[in-house]
Amino acid sequence: MSFGAMAAWQALLLIAAAAAAAVAIFRMKLRPPRVQVPSLLLWRRVFDHARELTWWEKVRRAVSLVATALIAVLLALAVTRPGPRRGQASEGRVLIVLDSSWSMAARTKSGETRWQRAVRQARSLAASAAGDVALATTADGLVEGPTSDTALLETAIDRLRPSGGDSAAWPRVPGTDRVYFITDGAVARALDPGVIVQSVFEAAGNAAIVAFGARPSLGGGGTGEAYVQVANYAPVGRAVRLIVSRGQAVLSDQRADMAAGEAVSAVVPLAATGSARLVARIETEDDALAEDNEAVAWIEGVDAVNVSVVSENPSTIGALLQQDPSLQVVFVKPAEYKPATGGIVIFDRWLPPQTPTQPALCIAPPASVWLGEPGANEPGARWIAGGTHPVIAGVDPLTIDVKRVRGYSGPDLTTLAASEKGTPLISVMDRPDRRVVVWSFSPADSNLASAPAFPVLFGNTIEWLARPSFGVLRHAGPVELPASTARLVSPDGLPVPVVKSGDRAVARLTSPGLYLVEAGGARGVIGVNVGDPDVSNLSRSSLTSTATAHVAAGGAGWPYWMWAVGVGLVLAATEWWTWQRRVTV
Amino acid sequence: MPLRFEDDFLKKLEYLHVVSKRAFAGQNRADRLAPKRGRGLEFADHRGYSAGDDFRHIDWKAYKRLGRLLLRLFDEEQDLPIYLFVDCSHSMREAGKFDQARRIAAALCYIGLAHLDRVTILPFDAELGDETQPGRGKGRIFRVFELLERMETEGATDLREVFTDFASRTRQQGLAVVISDFLDPHGFETGLKLISSMGHDTFVVHVAAASDADPGALGEVRFVDAETGELRDVDVTPALARAYGDAWRAHTEELQRFCGRYSLGYVRADADAPFDDIILQTFRKGRFLA
Repeated sequence: MSFGAMAAWQALLLIAAAAAAAVAIFRMKLRPPRVQVPSLLLWRRVFDHARELTWWEKVRRAVSLVATALIAVLLALAVTRPGPRRGQASEGRVLIVLDSSWSMAARTKSGETRWQRAVRQARSLAASAAGDVALATTADGLVEGPTSDTALLETAIDRLRPSGGDSAAWPRVPGTDRVYFITDGAVARALDPGVIVQSVFEAAGNAAIVAFGARPSLGGGGTGEAYVQVANYAPVGRAVRLIVSRGQAVLSDQRADMAAGEAVSAVVPLAATGSARLVARIETEDDALAEDNEAVAWIEGVDAVNVSVVSENPSTIGALLQQDPSLQVVFVKPAEYKPATGGIVIFDRWLPPQTPTQPALCIAPPASVWLGEPGANEPGARWIAGGTHPVIAGVDPLTIDVKRVRGYSGPDLTTLAASEKGTPLISVMDRPDRRVVVWSFSPADSNLASAPAFPVLFGNTIEWLARPSFGVLRHAGPVELPASTARLVSPDGLPVPVVKSGDRAVARLTSPGLYLVEAGGARGVIGVNVGDPDVSNLSRSSLTSTATAHVAAGGAGWPYWMWAVGVGLVLAATEWWTWQRRVTV
Repeated sequence: MPLRFEDDFLKKLEYLHVVSKRAFAGQNRADRLAPKRGRGLEFADHRGYSAGDDFRHIDWKAYKRLGRLLLRLFDEEQDLPIYLFVDCSHSMREAGKFDQARRIAAALCYIGLAHLDRVTILPFDAELGDETQPGRGKGRIFRVFELLERMETEGATDLREVFTDFASRTRQQGLAVVISDFLDPHGFETGLKLISSMGHDTFVVHVAAASDADPGALGEVRFVDAETGELRDVDVTPALARAYGDAWRAHTEELQRFCGRYSLGYVRADADAPFDDIILQTFRKGRFLA
C-alpha cells in the first residue's frame, strides 16, 4: 500500500499514534455522571451477591476497546490517502505526462473514464517513485514539481481536467531519469525514444458533431445557412436525434438512423434577423463522450449595433449606413452631442472636447487633446498599398482618389495606410479602454462616396469598432488576442485570465462553448467546439502499433480513503448505538 | 414546603381516629377507654367494699338486696400517648419522601389532637432529636404545621441508636408510629425490635419513592450516598439494574415480613401517591385509622 498524503513512515506513525491515543482515552475513564441515591445499602447487597458473568459481559470491554482503536486507525488511514502500490519503485527523477485531450474524457466499459484511469495510474506512479516527481499535461505543460511532496502532487492531480489543447509544447524537466506518458493515443505525437507510454485506450462507441458553423447561403436564398455534420464512430448503427437552435428558437429537430461509421450532414437556413448564437446538439444512447455532443457557432454581423452619427451634413454616410439593417442609426448635430454608452459613434469633421466613451470613427477630425492633430495639407494624395489589418482588409486603394488630405497623427494612433509621401490616411487607436479609427480625409475631399472601396472600408471599420471577429470557431487551448483585450469571459460567465505580452494578449480556452471578448469597448465572440474526427473517433488509437504498457481498469469505485472513512463512520455509529444500549462499554 | 390542609380534608380527618390494639393508661381524661377502672360514666363492675373506699361508690341497692357492701366500678376514659417518629435523614430528601412523611405526620397529629390524645413528635436521623408536644386539642395543629415546616433533613439513619435513646427516657406506653424509608445502613430490625419490646403498640409507615426501586441510571455512573456521601463508581448494566430492582423488592418484603412477625402495623406510603388516598384509604385498609 502507498500513501498519497505523506511518506510511508509518517503514515504509519500517524496511524500508530491515533490508535494509541484512542486506547489511552478509552482506558482513561472519563468522569462518570454523578447520581445521588438515598442509600448505597441495597447496591452493596447487589455487588456482594456474586453473579456469574455471561460470555459477552466478559469480552465486551475488549471488543469495545478494539472497535475504538479500529475507528481511530481507519480515520487516520483516511488522512494518509492510501492507495495500492503497483510495480517497482522508480529511481531518480520522474516526469509523468498526462494526455489531456478531450478524448480522455471518454467512458470505458468499467464505468470510469480514460482520464480517471490515467489519474489513478499517475497517482500510483507518483507514489511508487523514490525521487522527485514532476507532473505535466499535454495542454498545460508542467503543472507541478519536480517535488517529493506527495500532497502537492495529489492536489495538482485533483485539479487537472481534460481540456483539449493539443498544441502545447512537450514538457521537459532537466535531470529527468524516466518519463511516463499516459495517453489514449487519440492524437498522434512524435515522442522521444525514452518516453514510457502507458495506454488507457479502450475502444468505445461514440457519436459526435464533427462540424458546425454558419455561412452565407450557397443557393442565394435567405441570408445564410447553418451546416452541421454528425458522425457515428460506433461499430454498430444507432439512432441519433439532432437539434439545431438559434437563441431560444429551435430551427431543426430531426432523427436519423446512422450506420456504423456513417457521417451525415444537414443544412439549416437562417433568417436575416434573430440571435447570433447557434447551438447544435445530438442525443443518442450508449455514447462514450458527452463533450462532443454539443457544438456552438456565432453568426457574425447579425447582432444589432447602435450607431450615432455626429455631423452637420451626414448625407453620404447616412445613405450608406441605412443600407445595413443590423445598424440602428441616429443622427446628431455636433451642438447636440452628448456622451453615451453602447454602440459606436461617428464624428464627421468634428470632435468633442472630452474623450468619447464609445468606440469611435473620426472622419477628417480637427485637432483634439485626446486624439491628436492634423498635419500639413497634401493635395492629390495617393493611397497605393493595401494591408491585412481588419479595418483595411479587402480595400482596393487604387479605386480611391483623395483630392486633399491633412495627415492626422496622435500619440496612440497607429497608421494603417499612408500616402506615397507618408501622410497618414487611415489610423487606429487600439487600447483596452478605447478603440478609435481615424480617416484623415473626408468623403467630400475624395471620390470615396462613389468608389467600390468605400462600403468595404466603412463596413470593416464598423465591424472592427463594434463587433470585431476573433475567429469564431477554434479548438481549445491557447488563443492569441489583441493587446487591447480588456476581458475574456468563459461560457460559464467566469473571467478567463488574459496574459499580456507586448503587442498581444494570450489566454487559454479550456472548455467548449462561446467566449466573450471585450476590447476597447468592442465585443466579439470566440466559439470552441470539441467535435473533431481525431478526438471523437474513440475506436482508434495511434498506439496500436507502438509498444505500450496497458493500464488495467480499476473500476470506478471509491478511493481507499473514502472506504476507510465510510467503514470508520459505520463502526463509530454502531459502537455508539450499542454503547447507548449497554451492549458495549 | 408549606404544610396546610384544606378545611374539607380536616373535617374528614376529624371523623377518623387512631386505632390502638391495646388500651394504654393515659394522664388526662379523654375519650379513650383506659385499662383501669375510674370515674367514668359507664358502669363497669362491682367489687367488695374494702376499708378506705369512697362511701359514695357503695351500691346501696345491692346492699339492701344482698346484705353485702358492694362498690360500683366505672370505666376510666383517658387520652392515648402517640409518639410520631419522623425520619429526617438525608435519604428522605430524595424524590419527595420527606414532604410525604411530614404530611402524614401532620395528618396523624391532627387526628390525635382532635381526639384529645397526647401527641409527641420526635424527629430523628442518626440520633433522636428534640421532641415536641403540641398540647391537646385540634387548635394546636398550627404549631405542628410550623414545627414540621421547619424540619430539615440531616445526617444518616440509625434506628437502633434512636430507639435506645428513646428507651432511656421515662415514657408512658402508647402508640409509636415510625415514619421512615427504613434505609438504615445498620438494618431496621434491631431498632424496631427495641421499640416493640418497650411495650408500645408500634406502627410502621414505609415511605418509598419510585427512584428508590429504579434510580434510572445506566452506564458508567458515580453513585453518591445521600446520607454518608460515600462515592461508588458503577457500570450499571441492564442486568445490574434488574438485580438492584430485585434487591429493593426483597428489602420491602423483608420489612413487611418483619412487621408481621413482630405484630407491628405496616403501611406503605409511596411518595408519588396521592396523599388523600394514603390517609383515607391506605391507612384505613391497614387498620391504623378507623
